[in-house]
Amino acid sequence: MKEDDALRGCGMDRDLVAETRRQWEEEVLEPRVRRFNLPESPTRFYTPLDTDHGDFLEKVGFPGWFPFTAGNSPFDYWRAHARTAALFGYRPDWGGGGKVGKYGGFGTPADYRDYLLRMQAMGRKGGPNMAFDLATQCGYDSDSPHAEGEVGRVGVAVDSFRDFAVIYEAFTGELDIDKVPSNFTINAPACVIIAMYTALAARRGIDPAKLTGTPQNDILKEFISRGTYIFPPRPSMRLFRDTLTFMRKHMPLMNVNSIGGYHIREAGATREQDLAFSMANGIAYIQAGIDGGLMVDDFAPMFTFNAFGGSMEIYHEIAFQRAARRMWAHIVRDRFGARDKRSMMIRQPITAHIGCSSTTLKRPLNNLTRSVIGGIAAGMSGGLPGAYPPFDEPLGLGHSQEAVQLQIDATRILIYEAKVADVCDPWAGSYFMESLTDKIEEEALAELEKVEKMGGAIAAIENGYMQRAVAKSAYERQKRIEGLEEFVVGVNCFTGENEIEIMVNRVVEATYDPELMETAEERQKASLAALRRERDGRAVLSSLKALEAKAKDEKENLMPVICECVENDCTLGEICDVLRNVFGEAQPVKL
Amino acid sequence: MMHAEPRIRVLIAKPGLDGHERGAQVVSYGLRDQGFEVIYTGIRQRPEQIVDAAIQEDVDVVGLSILSGAHVALTAKVLEGLRSRGAGDILVLVGGVIPDDDRQKLLDMGVAAVYTSGAKIEDIAGFIRSSVRALEGGKGSR
Repeated sequence: MKEDDALRGCGMDRDLVAETRRQWEEEVLEPRVRRFNLPESPTRFYTPLDTDHGDFLEKVGFPGWFPFTAGNSPFDYWRAHARTAALFGYRPDWGGGGKVGKYGGFGTPADYRDYLLRMQAMGRKGGPNMAFDLATQCGYDSDSPHAEGEVGRVGVAVDSFRDFAVIYEAFTGELDIDKVPSNFTINAPACVIIAMYTALAARRGIDPAKLTGTPQNDILKEFISRGTYIFPPRPSMRLFRDTLTFMRKHMPLMNVNSIGGYHIREAGATREQDLAFSMANGIAYIQAGIDGGLMVDDFAPMFTFNAFGGSMEIYHEIAFQRAARRMWAHIVRDRFGARDKRSMMIRQPITAHIGCSSTTLKRPLNNLTRSVIGGIAAGMSGGLPGAYPPFDEPLGLGHSQEAVQLQIDATRILIYEAKVADVCDPWAGSYFMESLTDKIEEEALAELEKVEKMGGAIAAIENGYMQRAVAKSAYERQKRIEGLEEFVVGVNCFTGENEIEIMVNRVVEATYDPELMETAEERQKASLAALRRERDGRAVLSSLKALEAKAKDEKENLMPVICECVENDCTLGEICDVLRNVFGEAQPVKL
Repeated sequence: MMHAEPRIRVLIAKPGLDGHERGAQVVSYGLRDQGFEVIYTGIRQRPEQIVDAAIQEDVDVVGLSILSGAHVALTAKVLEGLRSRGAGDILVLVGGVIPDDDRQKLLDMGVAAVYTSGAKIEDIAGFIRSSVRALEGGKGSR
């Protein structure tokens, strides 16, 4: 009744709209469907009947205010500086004073240091944003049989604090660690890398309280999607708790983690699974902080998220961003009693995007068109309209200069020419968008409830539910594509001989010297052997023993003893081996 | 009429430390639905473990899924292992992010086929069926 009055107040009468809709279906829609001999209409038209949006303030609200559906703020830093950036020709991939640099890493620490120094000489002066090789990410030293063939491949090899310090020889003076942030894409052994960062500050006489940056530190999504786990979920979460409380106490400016929804989607999850599982993971991380004796507002403001989203369905991705913000805000406020609005925000540098799995190897320049769609979705849902990834993403490992230029320009065109970022939440109040936002939120909440009935994220990972659900969804999508229920241009349709292949000149910057890549493993093993000879063996043994003893006591925070291990030149692999012995190892899920 | 023909056995394996298993899982499910006997190793298998599993499970086909860029070295190890243990007749397929230049390299090394993003499971299944039949025709069933 009240709702009807509200609608009438807006000049609408629900009964009249319903009656008119019936008439329209009869006189316009149905004859058209019959004319084309279709089983049903291929389009849908939304009316006020599709939303129960009585309360704008409760469901949408203003940008920067609860429930953040309309955005985290009226405009972000990049929008504030848009004009200046255009006037001075700022290049986002180059970084700048006090900004995060380009994600990268390869070879030995010395290789990566020299590369960074060369980039800096060219003006690219961002803080370190490190990719580690898979051996490091999985807690193996470079001389482990598990590391064979992997050393220095997808990132830089870090076996010891000595290695870590070598990389940072590129960051001194105006780029010292109290001046630029450090980002670490590290999860299972995040505790070791954070300890190294602390040790580096100590060596340089810098107060760790001045350190800024973000460790990915999101172990739960590794079990669901990315696969670089080491220990079973529960001890992994204990390590998360230890890093959280340690960083809050000693490194208050550091972000705690970067929670990844995007990885889960890339692994095949549906939109609703992605949202539900990410929220479940977020809840587990908040619980870990509370179990560590902190209040939610003491640490939740330092949680970040990593690029939620990842499909070509532009309307759905816009609704997804809105639903995700509203859902997280409610969870953090209503369940955990947060009062700081920063705790309730999904803080993410990249928002909507198409996801790398939407790119195709066939006629790859089409990926530029695809990434622009993602950029529009981001720009229309409160984010930087970033056209990501570069079009040559699926061609192999390494983006060409041309692809990166086109990607950056596409984003600029969306900002400056299309002006997509001049309005906050432009879809607010759309009958369609509000109903879609509600639907995605409802479905994700239902899935979240299912996970919670199992005992939450950790239990739903231990029993393999999340992993299998994601794998099944990936297969369902593949079946839809092969069964021609879903079309991908140039892949399963429009592949005839009248279509032409577009060739593009690609110069892949010789970022990473192939010769160095080839020899990295041998060189890194040699320098590790030297470390093992030169270090104080007794100090190594005694600190690893202390680690073992403390690891057995669940209540102990392991960070201080890991810091001691790191300072005594214990290797990352040795530290992880001790923890493997105490905690056990996580096993891959069978299908 | 149902044929009592034994089902073709396929081992889908992820060598190395790369954890991206979407492709491996999708192909495993797909080949299973196509009537193959599929064994999926899960992630992080060493080449020796894959060779062991292939021989123990008496498979006709090994499908390696690699997205880390380490495909040439890892595939070489598996091929070598299979040959040295007298199982060189097992068909080896590779899937993942494989640049064009490396595709030929892998084929030259003895890989039967390379599949990248956009490949259809139906095609993979068809290739396996005809290749395994050709092998059996030539040498008799293993």
